[in-house]
Amino acid sequence: MIVAAPAAKDRVKFNVGGRIFETTSTTLANAGRDSFFGPLFDENWDLKDSSQSVGGGEFFIDRNPDCFAVVLDLLRTGDLNIPPNIPERLLYREASFYGVLDHVRSAKWGPFDGNRLRYSKSISGTAPGDGTAIRAAPDGGCAVAHGSIVHVYDWMLSEEHPPLTLDHQRVNDVIWVDPENLAVSACERLGRGDGGLGLFNKTSGRLRFKFQVTHDNQVKSFTAGALATAQNPNHRIFSSCKGRSNEYGIGVWDQFTGKQVDFFYESPGWSLGDADRLQWLEERNCLLVATLFPRKDNCYISLLDFRTKDMVWSWSDVGAPMTVDERRVRDGIAMEGNNAICVVNEYEDLGFMDLRMNGGAIRWSSRSRLIMKGRMPDDEPCYPKLALHDGGQLFSSMNDCISVFCGPDMVMTSRLRRGYGGSICDFSIGGDRLFALHSEENVFDVWECPPPPVI
Amino acid sequence: MSNQKKRNFQIEAFKHRVVVDPKYADKTWKVLEHAIHEIYNHNASGLSFEELYRNAYNMVLHKFGEKLYSGLVSTMTSHLKEISKAIEAAQGESFLEELNRKWNDHNKALQMIRDILMYMDRTYIPSNHKTPVHELGLNLWRDNIVRSSKIQTRLLNTLLDLVHRERTGEVIDRGLMRNIIKMLMDLGSAVYQEDFEKHFLEVSAEFYKVESQKFIECCDCGEYLKKAEKRLNEEIERVTHYLDAKSEIKITNVVEKEMIANHMLRLVHMDNSGLVNMLLDDKYDDLGRMYNLCRRVPNGLLTIREVMTSHLRETGKQLVTDPERLKDPVEFVQRLLDEKDKYDSIINKAFINDKTFQNALTNSFEYFINLNARSPEFISLFVDDKLRKGLKGVSEEDVEIILDKVMMLFRYLQEKDVFEKYYKQHLAKRLLSGKTVSDDAERSLIVKLKTECGYQFTSKLEGMFTDMKTSQDTMQGFYASHPELGEGPTLVVQVLTTGSWPTQPSATCNLPSEMSALCEKFRSYYLGTHTGRRLSWQTNMGNADMKASFGKGQKHELNVSTYQMCVLMLFNNAERLSYKEIEQATEIPAPELKRCLQSMACVKGKNVLRKEPMSKEIGEEDAFFVNDKFSSKFYKVKIGTVVAQKESEPEKQETRQRVEEDRKPQIEAAIVRIMKSRRVLDHNNLISEVTKQLQQRFLPNPTEIKKRIESLIERDFLERDNVDRKLYRYLA
Repeated sequence: MIVAAPAAKDRVKFNVGGRIFETTSTTLANAGRDSFFGPLFDENWDLKDSSQSVGGGEFFIDRNPDCFAVVLDLLRTGDLNIPPNIPERLLYREASFYGVLDHVRSAKWGPFDGNRLRYSKSISGTAPGDGTAIRAAPDGGCAVAHGSIVHVYDWMLSEEHPPLTLDHQRVNDVIWVDPENLAVSACERLGRGDGGLGLFNKTSGRLRFKFQVTHDNQVKSFTAGALATAQNPNHRIFSSCKGRSNEYGIGVWDQFTGKQVDFFYESPGWSLGDADRLQWLEERNCLLVATLFPRKDNCYISLLDFRTKDMVWSWSDVGAPMTVDERRVRDGIAMEGNNAICVVNEYEDLGFMDLRMNGGAIRWSSRSRLIMKGRMPDDEPCYPKLALHDGGQLFSSMNDCISVFCGPDMVMTSRLRRGYGGSICDFSIGGDRLFALHSEENVFDVWECPPPPVI
Repeated sequence: MSNQKKRNFQIEAFKHRVVVDPKYADKTWKVLEHAIHEIYNHNASGLSFEELYRNAYNMVLHKFGEKLYSGLVSTMTSHLKEISKAIEAAQGESFLEELNRKWNDHNKALQMIRDILMYMDRTYIPSNHKTPVHELGLNLWRDNIVRSSKIQTRLLNTLLDLVHRERTGEVIDRGLMRNIIKMLMDLGSAVYQEDFEKHFLEVSAEFYKVESQKFIECCDCGEYLKKAEKRLNEEIERVTHYLDAKSEIKITNVVEKEMIANHMLRLVHMDNSGLVNMLLDDKYDDLGRMYNLCRRVPNGLLTIREVMTSHLRETGKQLVTDPERLKDPVEFVQRLLDEKDKYDSIINKAFINDKTFQNALTNSFEYFINLNARSPEFISLFVDDKLRKGLKGVSEEDVEIILDKVMMLFRYLQEKDVFEKYYKQHLAKRLLSGKTVSDDAERSLIVKLKTECGYQFTSKLEGMFTDMKTSQDTMQGFYASHPELGEGPTLVVQVLTTGSWPTQPSATCNLPSEMSALCEKFRSYYLGTHTGRRLSWQTNMGNADMKASFGKGQKHELNVSTYQMCVLMLFNNAERLSYKEIEQATEIPAPELKRCLQSMACVKGKNVLRKEPMSKEIGEEDAFFVNDKFSSKFYKVKIGTVVAQKESEPEKQETRQRVEEDRKPQIEAAIVRIMKSRRVLDHNNLISEVTKQLQQRFLPNPTEIKKRIESLIERDFLERDNVDRKLYRYLA
């Protein structure tokens, strides 16, 4: 007779769909109390040596054994390895049954680094119109705006949530307020109060409420443009607004209540209501507002301080002499850590402005345009766009490429390209993923970093 | 049927939906419902966790989430109604125990139910904005048990009754109490606050209102404070044992308000035991308690401070204005120092060195010390006394302590320049008469004064010390160059630099010929070594040792002043001299002469002269003889001049006048300094600036400042503005 070693106390035997698995309670504890395996070791249930494990001392689970093997392996090693014969969807379903979907998600791809990105997959949509915007969700999903409809994907990308529309008006921008909710800005329809800005639940696709603009105690219809959020302080959401008469400017609402808390009217000779980009600067407690060519004939970039109702920093190319090569600013982004605003022109030249000095000029980086020259595709070009990642990496899209810039001098370190779908009209970083939306084939690419190496 | 008859074709929509067993949902729910019953009945060992979990999962997967959720709500509600009845049935003491037991059961059941329904909790509930299972279980417990009509009031009363019993000295089951309170907190802070804390605070306020009224009627202040402190500590302890930590501030506020704030004035002013009595009797413990308790209530410390300040000012005022006390300046200052020590140690021991109290103490002293215009003089006299004799046999550290205390009093003085004036005079006397006890102590005090008043003042004092030293050297040189002077009277000259010493009107007198010859020799010696100087004799400040033999042949050495020496020397050549003759021969000013005759003829034991007629006063017609019958048991006899140690009224006036005179240039300097930097300034601002600048030294009189301004205008330092006559302009 073989006497079980003391360590055997820790051992657990499962019969999953007819296959026997043996593991330890330590391994299963990795799943957490809040999973299928949690209660198995809870004294309330008293399952370890009750009748449920008699008959060979197995614990029976009526599920797919192949997937259980993958899940068990995940709990053992923290690595996710899906055999080719198991569809991802099936595995996700099983992981969801056991309550370890979050484990799968965090094992699937690694922490974000612009220089380690690998092309993962492309998702084709069914929307008719040109892509407007793509926005990465905090959990690794994304929202894609086409014309008047927004498609929402969770991180598994296999399943699409119900699409969103705001009175079927043309969508201008989308922003994630939290992992469950997103705000959609749209054009108004004359005299109907349609469009504007609405907050939607991701899962149900339901409109939770609209953000209203009130002037002189009257609710006005308006076209909402670019969006930004501020978690600190007070969970605000900002939108550029164009109203009927003189109501151009930046509206501010509370994210949770939807109540309007402020409105910054644009002054004559300056543009706020048509802004292409809003960005909240947490350290400075300011909002960056950029209105750019060709939406307007001139470019206007300013920082607004809502506490003092003051434009604390501003730059415009009004009256600036046109140079021969005519460098017009097409996008701009503030890098608070560097005290700079980075701008890009149509040739993907980067330029910098000092945030500490009001009224300074752009210092264009000397990077040669030769790389791009002669490579301009024949079809309709997309304007360059900029994005920033927490780690201080700067991204710029141009045609069908995304360039990665690093270091104090912002030198180019990587280029991401996939030659399908034409130019990149928008891209977004979030949930440790980069999403790039192509202008032609209604397709978006997902780039992610592989999990850390084995050794 | 009619359709069939007409044989009309109908196109049916293609249904690809798989039809599940229509009873599937009901069957599955039955299984789960049964399991929930078994769990509540402590019969869970027969349940298959895997099967139940899978069933719940399948219900959600097949879109029966709503049925599952509503089924859970109704099943749990009905169980809780059963439980509610069981708790209601519990009698007396067992009520809380039953509630606690059922609460534990419910928590355990809730956890197991949540385990089964985990998939619903994770997927169905967030996307449909429902309450998560655990929270739902707590809410249902709250609504069906804690807030049910038959339990809510009973629970509250039971809890409050237990607290009351504990307050009156009974021992209660704190563990049970803690569990029940914990339950209320688990149900949400709103439940704890609404269903318990609010009422608890109300009842406590009432309790302490009654109790404090009872105490204040029968206790004295110290006793009352002890009781209040005890109650406060009890409440804090209660919170740590079984209430929410956030309640501490609230309940202590109640006790503070009811027991302290509401009775504070009465306590502080309580007859025979209030704050003033505690201060008088140095009751450090009671004072400390009062401080700690009053610190907790608004305006508490302010009240104590005000009462202390007004008491201090009152006693201080009495101290400095009491005519009895003015007789002895040393005693006067000693009393001030004692008073300061007393309050210093009260603030240190009872008021944890509270800065605001220290400031109040300082302010009070500044207030009453300056009520008496003679304080500067007295403080200087106190120092004089200490430095003359008071410091003998006292260690160096103690000397420092005494000097520091004096400096502290000095800081309170408004008229620092008056003190300086007196100090200089007293120092001069000490130096010239060689009475100073310790050179180190003198110098240490000068260093302290230097840090307080600056170099300007002490440089003259230091000059005095230098003069003393140089004089010694000069005398040695003088006698070395005149060896023939070994015989005869010895002359000791102290050469004083003009300006460094308090000047006194020099009233020269005729020295005896022996002396004047000697003086002339010294004069020529001194002027020979120091060209370009002028010597004038201050005979009023000198003294002399004389050998005298009296009628029965007994010899004495007399220590007298220079004036007295001059008078006595006259009797070497005459038996009898009239007042007029003496006055003629010596040319000593009349008041001085009278004083020195009085001290030699009218003081018992020192009467080396005899006067006719015998009386206490000196008259113009009196005649004087050597008193042959003079006797003394000492060989050396010191004949002091009748000199008031304190200044006499006219002298006081004179000092005062000199002080005023010295202030004039200081005021003018301040005006010029200010105007030079400001160029233009109006009258009121100028006055206030000047006052501010000079505050360190003295409090200038506005009329005096005005006079100085006028004088400066006359001398073209300033001018009045042509338009606005209130404006002054600086003329460079």
